[in-house]
Amino acid sequence: MSVPGSAKGGVMAEGSGFLGGRIPVEIDAMARHIRDLDKELFRKILKAVVSAVEGKDCRDLMRSIAENSDVPEDRLSLIVAGMYSLLKEALRLPTSSLKQEVFKDDLRELRISEEFITDFASVVFGNRRAALEAAYTHQQPRLPSIEDLQWRVDVAISTSSLVRALQPSILMRMKLSDGKIHQFEVPISKFQDLRYNVALILKEMNDLEKRSILKIQD
Amino acid sequence: MHLMRIIKYFIWLTLYNFELCIEKHTPLLNECAGCVTVYITSCIKEAVTYINAIDINKFTRLLSRIFQRVHLKEESLFSKEEEEKLQSALSLEKQALSLVLETVSFIIEQAVYHNVKPAFLMQQLENVHLQTDKAEAFSQAWASAGPDTIHMFRQKIFAPKKLDHVGWCLNLQMGQSTQAKQKAPCATLEFAVSSEDAEGPERVFVQFNHQELLEFYNKLEIIQAQLDSLT
Repeated sequence: MSVPGSAKGGVMAEGSGFLGGRIPVEIDAMARHIRDLDKELFRKILKAVVSAVEGKDCRDLMRSIAENSDVPEDRLSLIVAGMYSLLKEALRLPTSSLKQEVFKDDLRELRISEEFITDFASVVFGNRRAALEAAYTHQQPRLPSIEDLQWRVDVAISTSSLVRALQPSILMRMKLSDGKIHQFEVPISKFQDLRYNVALILKEMNDLEKRSILKIQD
Repeated sequence: MHLMRIIKYFIWLTLYNFELCIEKHTPLLNECAGCVTVYITSCIKEAVTYINAIDINKFTRLLSRIFQRVHLKEESLFSKEEEEKLQSALSLEKQALSLVLETVSFIIEQAVYHNVKPAFLMQQLENVHLQTDKAEAFSQAWASAGPDTIHMFRQKIFAPKKLDHVGWCLNLQMGQSTQAKQKAPCATLEFAVSSEDAEGPERVFVQFNHQELLEFYNKLEIIQAQLDSLT
């Protein structure tokens, strides 16, 4: 049999495609168990899995699904695990490298029915994608970023060393995303230093993004 | 030693005010004229005697050295070995040397505080009976090194925490556990914040992506605009 649009043909059995060298066990198991699943139930499970991928707590949702359906628990857990893995793998690749058609073809190779494939594709390539990616950026390991920056410019009129000083200085208060608050004074020379360095980094970033060597197409 | 400084300060202030009175021709003039000479203490007299005995070239070199280090509050002007060398070079005893150094740094600090002109400084030094050549050397040294010294004193700010140093590194993030094939530039800034009582600087690391860095830069530009409007 030849599947239209797929250059891979029967190669899927060896597991090429976006899932990599070997199809993960849970996805294979899910593909088998999902065949005789009711469409409504499938949609409910898909919704719960999507909210889990976003990082939300979906235990109540899963509990209600488990109680209201007559699917045995071990089968349900296999389905859920498989769907979660599948979605995570698909979302890992950026849309420029994994095209919708290729994704659908790969799923057809797993012998998942068409309407389920459409549902999967709408999650991975639809409007939810941006929200899912935003959720990812918060989950990744990273150093704290600035949540809030407050500042104040002071002028020292007179000090114990000088009767007329008239020296400006800056007081900064940085609130970081891990909750710590740092308050410190910045002398004017250091402030100019900071400004210069930030401008330099911005210029380097712009150059980096424009360089053609990085337009590595996959 | 601190008490001596306060006493000297009062004398100096009186002398300075006396000078102001003369310039403004106020009625205080006649009353002040009598009281000036009484207030010069033995400390300054003694120091002046010692200074007058020093060779003029050595004195000039000593002055320039002191000017370089007078703004460093925490460290003393000379190390122990240097003090011993000075003692033999100027043929002064330990007590005499420390008195001379103290007096010279005190005069400089007062000159900085009131931002005096070199001519006025020379006159004041002559009033306390410093030799003319020494007073001239002093006022010349003040004319050349004075503005820099004032500038260094002006830069000293004290605050619980102060930004010492900013370091940065720019990375290109190629991938992470949840996303493959990324090309996201990511900058890490290190703020070395030192405080008065802590041992070393506290290092604060902050990460920025392109958008966040742009917002940070815009905030810095607003601050700069405020600074510009001050001048």
